[in-house]
This record gives sequence, C-alpha cells and structure tokens, in this order.
Amino acid sequence: MTTLKLPHPGSLVAFAILALVAGGFIALLTFDGGAPSLFSISPYLGRVLAFSIAQAALSTLLSLALGVALALALARRSFMGREIVLALLSTTMVMPTIVAVFAVFAVYGRSGWLAELLAFLGWRESFSVFGYPGILIAHVFLNAPFVARITLDGLTRIPAEHWRLAMAFGFTPAQVFRHLDWPVLRAELAGIAGLVFLMCFKSFAIVLALGGGPSRSTLEVAIYEALKIDLDFGRVAWLALIQLAICLSMTVLLHWAFARPPAGHTIRSLIRRPDAKDRTLKVFDAVILGAGTLFIAPLALSVLMGLRSMIGILDRDLLRAFATSIGIALAAATVACLLALALASAARRQRLVLRSPRIAAFYDFLPDTLLAVPPFALTAGLFLLIQRFGDPATAGFVLLPLINGLAAVPFAYRYIAPHLLTTEERYGRVAASLGLTGLAKLAIMDWPALKRPLAAGFALAMALSFGDFGIIALFGGTELVTLPYLLYERLGAYRLDEASAVGLVILLVAFLLARVSGRLSHAGD
Amino acid sequence: MLVIDHCRLTWPDFVADYSLKVQAGRLCAIIGPSGGGKTTLLHMIAGFEKPESGTLTFNGQDLLPLEPAKRPVSIVFQDHNLFPHLTVTQNVGLGLRPSLRLTDEETILIEETLDAVGLRGFGARRPGEMSGGQRQRVALARALVSGRPLILLDEPFSSLDPGLRRDMILLVDSMRRKRPVTILMTIHTPEDAADVADQMVFVADGKVVASDEPSRILGGSLAARIAAAVSDT
Repeated sequence: MTTLKLPHPGSLVAFAILALVAGGFIALLTFDGGAPSLFSISPYLGRVLAFSIAQAALSTLLSLALGVALALALARRSFMGREIVLALLSTTMVMPTIVAVFAVFAVYGRSGWLAELLAFLGWRESFSVFGYPGILIAHVFLNAPFVARITLDGLTRIPAEHWRLAMAFGFTPAQVFRHLDWPVLRAELAGIAGLVFLMCFKSFAIVLALGGGPSRSTLEVAIYEALKIDLDFGRVAWLALIQLAICLSMTVLLHWAFARPPAGHTIRSLIRRPDAKDRTLKVFDAVILGAGTLFIAPLALSVLMGLRSMIGILDRDLLRAFATSIGIALAAATVACLLALALASAARRQRLVLRSPRIAAFYDFLPDTLLAVPPFALTAGLFLLIQRFGDPATAGFVLLPLINGLAAVPFAYRYIAPHLLTTEERYGRVAASLGLTGLAKLAIMDWPALKRPLAAGFALAMALSFGDFGIIALFGGTELVTLPYLLYERLGAYRLDEASAVGLVILLVAFLLARVSGRLSHAGD
Repeated sequence: MLVIDHCRLTWPDFVADYSLKVQAGRLCAIIGPSGGGKTTLLHMIAGFEKPESGTLTFNGQDLLPLEPAKRPVSIVFQDHNLFPHLTVTQNVGLGLRPSLRLTDEETILIEETLDAVGLRGFGARRPGEMSGGQRQRVALARALVSGRPLILLDEPFSSLDPGLRRDMILLVDSMRRKRPVTILMTIHTPEDAADVADQMVFVADGKVVASDEPSRILGGSLAARIAAAVSDT
C-alpha cells in the first residue's frame, strides 16, 4: 500500500491563489448575460485607459518632483523643526486614501479652508476641486512624502568618506550633485517612479470621490461602476483582464528593477555637506521646504481638526463600524500572515533544501502579483461563485477579509521571508539531523526569530485593511459598515465635521498600527 | 617639516591634544589602540576637523585657516575611496580636476601613474569590477597624481589579507623614493611597516604618547601596550 504524501502547504496556497484568480475570471466570462465583444466597448475602454494613464503619469511626475526636491533640501539642511517635518512625512505615508479624500475636500473644497481664505481676502470666484485638480492634489499628497522618505534614506547611505573626498577635492555644488546625489537618485528613481505610477494607475477611492463624473474614471472605478450600477459582468471581465495584464506587466518590470543586491554600508553619515554653504541652494531649499510644508501641513492638519467634533459622533453607529473594521482587519491580517508564511517557507525549502532557485523565485514573485490583481474583478468573480453555494448577503463578511488579506500578503511576505532564510542557513542542518520537520521545525527552530517580524507583518496588514476603502464600496450598506465606509457616507452627505472626526479615528488607528509594526521590525536588528 | 603643536579638539566624551613633528620626505607610521585618536589626527591635518587651539604648519605654511581642498594634502581612506559610477581614469582624474575636463597631458600623466601602481590598462574599468587591493591602488594613484606633498593614508590596507598588505606597503615605500612626498600612515599591525617606516608614532587617549624610530618604539617600554592594542581588535 502506498501512503499519500501531502504536498507542502506553500504549494497548496500558491495553487489556491492561482485557482481563485482563474476561477473568478472564468465565472465572470461564463456568466449568463454573455460577454460583450471587446470591440463593442472599445471606444469607452479607450477613454478610460487614456484617462487612467494620463492622471497616473501627471501624478507620478509631480510626486517625484516635489518628493526629490524635498529629500535634497532635507538632506542639505538641519534646522529647528526638521524632526517635525520628517514625522509629518511618515504620517502621510500611512494615511488611508479615503482620509486623504476628506483632507482635499476640507482644504480645497467648495467651503474649504482655501475658499474661506480667498473669500476673506475678497476673492469670490468659485472653483471646483473635481477632476484633475482634486485627483492630482490627493495623489501628490499621498505619494510625494513616500518619494521623499525613500530618497532621503538613499541619500543618507552615501558613505562619509565620499563627503570627505568632496571636501578634499573642493567640489562645487554642481559637482556634489553630479558625483554624490545623482548616482543615488538614478539608482532609486526608476523603481520609485514605477511603484508610484502603479499605485496611481490603480487608484480607486480618490478617483471615485474626486473624479466628478463618468468621463473621469480609472479602470478600477470603471470596473466598480460596471459591477455596482450596470451589473454587467461581461464588461467587468474584459476591463479586469486588461487591468490585470497592464498591472502584471508593470509588476514584473518593477520586480526586476528592484531585484538588486542590497546596499552594503548602512552607517549613516552625519557629516555636514560641503554644498550647504551655497547661497543659491539656501534660497532654493528654503522655497522648497516652505512650499512643501504649505502643501502638506494643511491637508494633514485638516484631519486633526476632527478632534473638535469627536464627542458629537460617538454613537452606536460609530462603535459598530469601529468593531466591524477591527474584526475585518484582524481576519485579513490572519489571512495575510498565514498565506505569507506558507509561501515563504515553500520558497525557503526550494532555495536551500531542494536547491531549485527558479521555483523559489516563483514563490517570491507570487505575493507581488497580488498587487496587480484588480480587487473588484476578483471580488465579482468570487461573488458569482459563492452565490451558487450560499447566501449572498453574508458574502461581504467572507470576501472582505479574504480580499484585504490577499492584498496585504506582499507586505507580510517582505517581513517574514528574510528571517525564515536566516534561521535555515544557521540551524537548518542541526534541525535536519534531529529530524525536525513541519510544524515542529516551525515551533522550535523558527519561532524565536520569527515572532517579531510576524507580529510586525500582522500589524502592518491590519493597518492596511483597517483604512481600506475598496471593495467595501460594493458591500457597504445597512448590514455592513466599516469606518472608511462611514467616512465615505458622511462625505457624500457633505457632513464634513463628522467626516473629519471619523477620518481622525481611522488615521490614529492606522498610524498606531504602522508605528507598532515599525518598532517590531526594527527591534532586534 | 610637519609641525603640530598642542592642537586641541574636544567632544563630550573625548579630548584630543596632539603635538608631533615629522621631517619632510619621511614615511611615518602611526599605531595605537582603536578609538585612541589615530584617524582624528589625520582628519585634523586634512581639514575635516578643526582644532580649537594650537598650531599646525607644513614647511612653514599655516594650514589651519585653509579649507580641505586648499591644503597641500591628499588622503586615502580604508574604504569607499572611489565613486562607483566613474571609471578608474575619472576617479584618478578627480585628484587633478574635480570638473574632469582633463587635458591630453593630464590623461597621459594618469596613465603613467596607473602604470606605476601596477594597473596598466585598467583605466576604463569601474571600481565594481576590481578587487579590494586594486581599488586601493587606484586611490594611491590619485593621491600621487595630485602632486600634493603631504599624503595621509588612513588604515589604507587593513581590509586586505596579510600578504597583499605587505605588497602594498612596499609599493608605498617605492613610490616615495621616486618623489618628494611626506607620508603619514595609520596601520593596525606594526610589523607590516617596521622595516620601511622612518618614524613610528604611538597614539592613545587622544595624545601622541611616543614618537621615535620603529625599532625603539617596538622594542622599548611600550611593547606591552602595543601588543595589547593590536590583539584588542
């Protein structure tokens, strides 16, 4: 009698993910309504695609320009309040998109701070934030700080010896830029630009709320509208396939662009840069830091204003939404960490035990592809599948943690995978000689080194899920309300005071979780 | 002659007070425990650190008011001497002109110097394609090509293995016999330079504790402290 050998959990997870995605698409394409031909929707598709690309390209360009200028200015200067600016940048990096939407309304909306200021100055021209202005402001607000932080990290990794050489050779500011700053920028910018473009191309909440009409849709919003308004599953399938193809090829490109050896030296140079004395640069940096602060600070502060209305919104609706959001975030983080753990241990087994780096590379790449899968398309497909077996009303409670969890797998994976590799390299042979395998190996060999990164990944996955306004737009209603959905409702009803308080709660929780995650991932280094 | 007279530098947790004389044309090896102030001494001579008091002259010229780029000094570090995006020729060329607009004569001079440090034909390579020893040879070539009379070497060969380290020190010794340069070199293992250095200096706790011929330093009353300093790291 032969015993059936179970496959590795990682292979099961990989198979399940691929099956889920493929099953979703098959369900969509074979749905009874019949898929429209690609040709019949092509003029509409062309418009959506053109807008998606145009707004993403503009957003990326502006985010890079502001982010890089800010990073250079921060690298050159030390001043009172520099720490505050850095903290502001970090906070903005974890800000959920729907909270950023609120901030744009609060500052640039019809009765926002800017309108009030202009009215006070006697200028009563009305202007609309909808369309390009609102979308670009929100995207730059969310992405320029990210660009600035990554670039600044790169710039502070320039070895102190290079700065001393620059002094010894008497480099001019232009030569400092050419030989010290530019090589860093050139190495980092392609990858950062690609990532920012991908994020803006896939943008949902911002474009939905600030687009201001069906003519200004990204593919993601178009998929949502086809689902929610038209119930046109065939169109959903086509749009989703195109979205998947574009995002997947971009992800592959990024994966290669980022797959380079990590920087060898991590000692931060605290040296005073020789170009800090240049007069022109002093003026330039002052202007950039001033403009950057003027742009970012009001948007960030508008959320803090929610404190004023905090008491007023403390009702049962809010508490229920809060509890629902926490519950979904916990479930999503559990899904994300379990899947990431299974995939990472399969990747490790392939790389170090079975010595097949190609298959290991496939496991490494799979989490990143989840960034490319359009959540609405996946949701719609799974919804159709589930509908055949169970009650669609409860589908949301299952799908929300699942989809949010899948979206967080790449982030959890990045925390977990390196530590698994390290423990195998150190103790793998001892474990093998003792016959430790499976869960016992995980508990005895890996757990001590794994618990912190796992907790860090869990907290980050929770932060992402807690603030997410994605497919909740489909399932949200009287039965199912999360905090981001509550915020969206309040915004739609123009109740900005209540919206600001809800936004503040979301931001605080997301920020705290991200902070816990950061602490955990750095401790023990 | 290099004359350092009570140059004092203060940090919250460290005070240095250097006094030292080195004859022009000499090769001076600086030894001592890590954290004792060897590197700070070189950084001060190069102009990266400014003493609060004291005097620092070279051949009668006061160095203290001068910016690092204006001093008659070139320096080689233990690591990160080369810019990875520039070729070997360009990295050496920075010692002549930071703008890298090199004349034909300068290009020829660079080639000759590369030849002299044993890197003939390496001009078009980038640092990433070379070994650690080769990269330090490039840095040496740059120090030589700049024509500055005072060369500071800060543990230049400590990350190389012992055989290679000895070769490099012999290269430094042969270089200085061909040109009028004064060399100060911090080293980790005193034996490496005992027979080539004219002068050996023991630095500890931010002070020059002793300065003499290598044989007297290594054979004298400091021998135990030196042995302790070497085995320390």
